[in-house]
Amino acid sequence: MAEVWLENVVKMYGKKMAVRGVSFTCREGEFFSILGPTGAGKTTILKMIAGIEPVTAGKIYFNDRVVNDLPPQERNVSMAFETYNLYPHMTVYENIAFPLRAPRWRLKLTPEEEKKRVEEIAAFLGIDRLLDRLPQNLSGGQKQRVSLARALVRRAEVYLLDEPIAHLDAKLKFSTQTLLKEFARRYGSTIIYVTHDFREALALSDRMVVLRRGKVEQEGTPEEIYYYPRTDFVGRLVGDPPMNLVDGELLSRNGVLFFCKGEDFMLRLEGTLAEKAESVAWEENGKRVVRLGIRPEHIRLSGEKPSENALRFPVYAVIHESESSVVTFRLKDNTFLYVRTVGFCKYGRGEEVWIDFDPQWVFFYGKTVEVAKEGSSEQ
Amino acid sequence: MGTLGKVFFWVVTAFVLFVIVAPLAWIYLTAFKSPNDIFTTEARKLIFFKPTMENFNRLFREFPFWDNFLNTVIISVSSTVVVMVISSLAAYSFARWNTGRGHLLFTTISTRMFPGVVAAIPFFVMYRNLGLLDTRFGLALLHIYFNTSFATFLLYGFFKEIPEELEQAAMVDGYSRVDIFRKIVLPLVRPGLAVTAVFCLVWSWNEFLFSFLFTRVAARPVTVLISSFWGSIEVQYGPMAAGAAIVILPTLVAAWFMQRYIIRGLTFGAVKG
Repeated sequence: MAEVWLENVVKMYGKKMAVRGVSFTCREGEFFSILGPTGAGKTTILKMIAGIEPVTAGKIYFNDRVVNDLPPQERNVSMAFETYNLYPHMTVYENIAFPLRAPRWRLKLTPEEEKKRVEEIAAFLGIDRLLDRLPQNLSGGQKQRVSLARALVRRAEVYLLDEPIAHLDAKLKFSTQTLLKEFARRYGSTIIYVTHDFREALALSDRMVVLRRGKVEQEGTPEEIYYYPRTDFVGRLVGDPPMNLVDGELLSRNGVLFFCKGEDFMLRLEGTLAEKAESVAWEENGKRVVRLGIRPEHIRLSGEKPSENALRFPVYAVIHESESSVVTFRLKDNTFLYVRTVGFCKYGRGEEVWIDFDPQWVFFYGKTVEVAKEGSSEQ
Repeated sequence: MGTLGKVFFWVVTAFVLFVIVAPLAWIYLTAFKSPNDIFTTEARKLIFFKPTMENFNRLFREFPFWDNFLNTVIISVSSTVVVMVISSLAAYSFARWNTGRGHLLFTTISTRMFPGVVAAIPFFVMYRNLGLLDTRFGLALLHIYFNTSFATFLLYGFFKEIPEELEQAAMVDGYSRVDIFRKIVLPLVRPGLAVTAVFCLVWSWNEFLFSFLFTRVAARPVTVLISSFWGSIEVQYGPMAAGAAIVILPTLVAAWFMQRYIIRGLTFGAVKG
């Protein structure tokens, strides 16, 4: 097992910078996720850790030892590729056994030992009935599990998993997550897990980083990432529906600061919240503008006015989910405000409802992402 | 497909079949005819005649057919083996590391772009000085030279088809470059290797120009022997057809074999995991 430490790692493809000075530490025995949208540089980082892609600048350490110049064979890592990369001329069994047979690891397993290891991991991932097949006769989900099995069959210093369950159906995804957690616990393995799905990252990780265009946007535990997103980007990427982002004007009246978006959206800001809003606000057309962020579940709805700061809006739409409902409100500039309520929502479309923001969970951000305008016109 | 379409299809098929089969049929029929039957103008005798082994007997008795045949076998097989070793390594290098940034690959292929005769005179002078004229080694060397460029080009395409990530996966799994070439790359490129090898073999087997110019007696391949039946006094159709009938056989087998592999080779992309 090893600790993996990236220090200002840069990767250039020609003149294009794919990774722009990424630093993070994945501690020994940790389940560490790299979350980011497509093209953020996640796979590139994983390949640099594996030694497949050379590092342009910066250093990668395994347990305080710089590994920049070590070829993959010398690093003792194990990797599951997003594109599976199963060896097409080998059966599933041979694919999984392939890392065990590499002379480099000096395992020298007898055929019986090898068979035991392969069958164990195959049974663990539920692919034990496929061992005699060739990869071309497998479905996408089956290939993915074979690729995962090949990565997990050997005891490696670090396991690098690139979207290892992205192509599984919903049920298998869930059970495979459970298996991965169990695997990590049983062997105390260091796992670096790449995904674009925030659910996987939140569900599995001990800690994680959020990546944006080759840069670390935030590093922390899943709780920190979800409940305290450092930027509007993180708030948008993590959560479904994502964090509400509302751009509004900062107005000062009689020494009290207000966050306004039109006449019907006025929030009184106090204490640290006011300070925070002031510190990140920017000038736009001579106005002081700031971006407010709040998660849908931190907004309360009620029929009666619950507090001085509550706002009154008509319901735009209600989406019922299994254990909760998402109530949508439509703001002045055609952005939506999502509110998650526990249980079945009793409000109907067009009904005027009081909206109350929980001040503990209100955040202010500078603007780093465009908020899409949804539903441009109403019939 | 309408009736007209069907008719058209069969007319074209029959025509193509005729163009391909007729010369072969003519060769094999002629090989078993007596001189009288060969030269008769009687149309019926084109197909109906009394078969005889006379031409084959003459071929084996009066001419060094088997010696020349052996020359052809030795030259084509040995040159193909050497070509495959050189070309597979070169093509892998070009495909995987872009060795020479395309210039080297182009230079290699460009040796095939000028007519072979252009190179014949300098080669001849060089071979005379080196004492390589009329040697199997010398002719095999020439075949290697010409086939290497072609084989490298062909194999380059096959190697390019293998995803680089497959090799990266094997590296992570702990295998060295040499092991990866042996255990991953070679098995996957096998159909490509087969097609290329057969192409080289057939080319070398059929090659006439350089064989004609660079050999006399000792290293003479069978193609040159057959051409010698076209003498200044008479054309010996009998032995010529008998010789051709034997020499064609291996290439027919190769064509049959290639047909399966070329189809696999062409659909190689589908093999990807």
